[in-house]
Amino acid sequence: MSRFTLDQEIKLVQDEILLLGSLVEQAILNSVDALQRRDAIAAKNVYDNDRKINAKHHAIENHILITMATQSPLASDLRFLAAMLEVNTELERMGDYAKGISKVAIRLADTDYAIPIREIQQMADLATSMLHRSLGAFVAGDIVAAYSIPQEDNQVDELYESIYRKIIEGMIKNPDTISLGNQVMWVIHNLERTADRVTNICERVVFIVSGESVEFDGMEEEHQDE
Amino acid sequence: MKSRFHLRILWPFVLILVVSLAVLVLLFPLVQDSISQHALETGGEANYLPIFALVFLILAIGLMVGVLINIYYTNQHLSTLEDLSDAAKELGEGRFREIKIPEDVGNIPEMQDLADALQKTAYQTEEQFNTLSKEQAMLSAVLENMTDGVLIADDSGNVQMLNAAAEKLFKVENEQAIGRSLVEVMRHYSLVELWEKTKNGNPETITMELGSAHKYLQVIGINLKKDLPGRTMLLFQDLTQTHQLEIVRRDFVSNISHELRTPIAGLKAISETMLDGALDDPPAARKFLIRMDNEIDNLIQMVNELLELSRIEAGRSNFEFQRSKPCEMISNAVERMSFQAQKADLLLTQDCPEGLPQVLADPTRISQVFVNLIHNAIKFTPPGGSIHLTAWQEGNEVVFLVRDNGVGIARKNLKRIFERFYKADRARSGGGTGLGLSICKHIIDAHGGRIWAESEENVGSKFFFTIPASAV
Repeated sequence: MSRFTLDQEIKLVQDEILLLGSLVEQAILNSVDALQRRDAIAAKNVYDNDRKINAKHHAIENHILITMATQSPLASDLRFLAAMLEVNTELERMGDYAKGISKVAIRLADTDYAIPIREIQQMADLATSMLHRSLGAFVAGDIVAAYSIPQEDNQVDELYESIYRKIIEGMIKNPDTISLGNQVMWVIHNLERTADRVTNICERVVFIVSGESVEFDGMEEEHQDE
Repeated sequence: MKSRFHLRILWPFVLILVVSLAVLVLLFPLVQDSISQHALETGGEANYLPIFALVFLILAIGLMVGVLINIYYTNQHLSTLEDLSDAAKELGEGRFREIKIPEDVGNIPEMQDLADALQKTAYQTEEQFNTLSKEQAMLSAVLENMTDGVLIADDSGNVQMLNAAAEKLFKVENEQAIGRSLVEVMRHYSLVELWEKTKNGNPETITMELGSAHKYLQVIGINLKKDLPGRTMLLFQDLTQTHQLEIVRRDFVSNISHELRTPIAGLKAISETMLDGALDDPPAARKFLIRMDNEIDNLIQMVNELLELSRIEAGRSNFEFQRSKPCEMISNAVERMSFQAQKADLLLTQDCPEGLPQVLADPTRISQVFVNLIHNAIKFTPPGGSIHLTAWQEGNEVVFLVRDNGVGIARKNLKRIFERFYKADRARSGGGTGLGLSICKHIIDAHGGRIWAESEENVGSKFFFTIPASAV
């Protein structure tokens, strides 16, 4: 097979990954928006849209495997394709998180539980912005961005902690809110996990560019230990 | 034309030939006699060889002179031709200004024609080029300076052109974006879908929100098959501001209805109670009437504030500026609000340095600003707290400060609190209209001053405003 076809295939898969990324990004933002507006219909849309994300995920997986099987990629090409296989999975999981958030949004739509929505929106904006830039770094092989984006995860964690405390305080003050508060915990947990998965994508970027395997989570924990 | 040129190149040869033949014809009879005489004298045969040698010599010299003249002429023509061909090359490369067309082409009409034609072409091409570049400059100036983003994609979905607004929107640079796929540049599936739909179909418009920046866009996809086959243009209009205004308006309507409903519902409840029999119990009726009076006061205040704000905003409000003493304004405000502060169990204090310059201000309006700020401080400071007023001079303005140790304002709300109807903490702001700070801002603006706030949550807030010192 000619070099030209392999390059073309890789480019096609890359574009598909970016499209999937955009679907996931929007799903997360839409689910939080539905939560804010207590809009069960919008939440249901996000929930149903997850099928589209899953279908795209499978299509990309197939595309990568066929490319690997028929084009016999070597060295950096193989590394890039393998990394895309992994990023593809990460994105599918993030899609599931959005689905989880929309499920909560459906349940909370008819309640008047005081959701700390501003902080949650901040968290969602931060996580999706990290996702957006990490995929940009992925296709551009931008190792500088790959090292700097995971540092923003701390901000997400801080927001998580602060919302978590707020919800717990609410539960102590008013035990009736325990069940609903617990639902909101799921929302912030999902957003926090999204940001964690973004750091995984950044690890892949470092791997593709330098061939080194780094663990950004590990680095942070070390910092926290200090 | 051609023959003339040939003649010009050939004439030296012809001349030489004619001269040589003439010499031969003229000299031959003379020489022939002497040669034949000489032959008779010596008894040998007549030897014509020298004469022929001479003729050949003359012919050879003539030929050489002809060749030299010819070389001279050819050289002259060649260098003119070279100059002209250089000029033509420069013309082809678009260097109209540097072009050098030889003026003296050696008196050769054909060369002159060529040079003239070249000169004319250069001139016309430059004219056309200038017109085109002017048009192009105009078009690109329009493209680069328009606030709407423009992006053109080819038929395989790669970006071919994008303007500055589009670069800003998608945070990319031109060089990085050209030739890349749409999804790589725009990073949004809706936009790729729009391109797919419009590239072979009719123009289509979508509205969408772009990512975590929450940009609200209207995007129009148009395929350019008439002018640029295969290309599709996407036009992005940023409606974020309009969208936000829409939200503000929606918030306003819902706020104001809510704010109006509360006192009116109270009034309704009281009047019903009175009609149901409380009227016959004068002491109770009196209590109810006092409450009604309070509710009506609230309503009046709200309506007044709304009117006031619309008047100030429309610039129809009259200000009566006069030279005023900053400390006097502070102590007036403290005096006015001390009762309310006391009621809320708050300590209202002031300190004002001596020797502050007078300011040009409308004391009634400034008092309104102080009342609003102190009123807010009272509302957002838990019992036992304190509110402090002070002023100092900074350059040629006086800075006033209202400081409390209340609940404070979250940083993200801080820049929005001067907006109309903005309430950072809806639960706590109670009966407020969300107009107070907006009115303050307009009043201070009218004084040529600035107003801003600093705050830390659970520590307290500081509201500053400045008024320029009076010149005299």
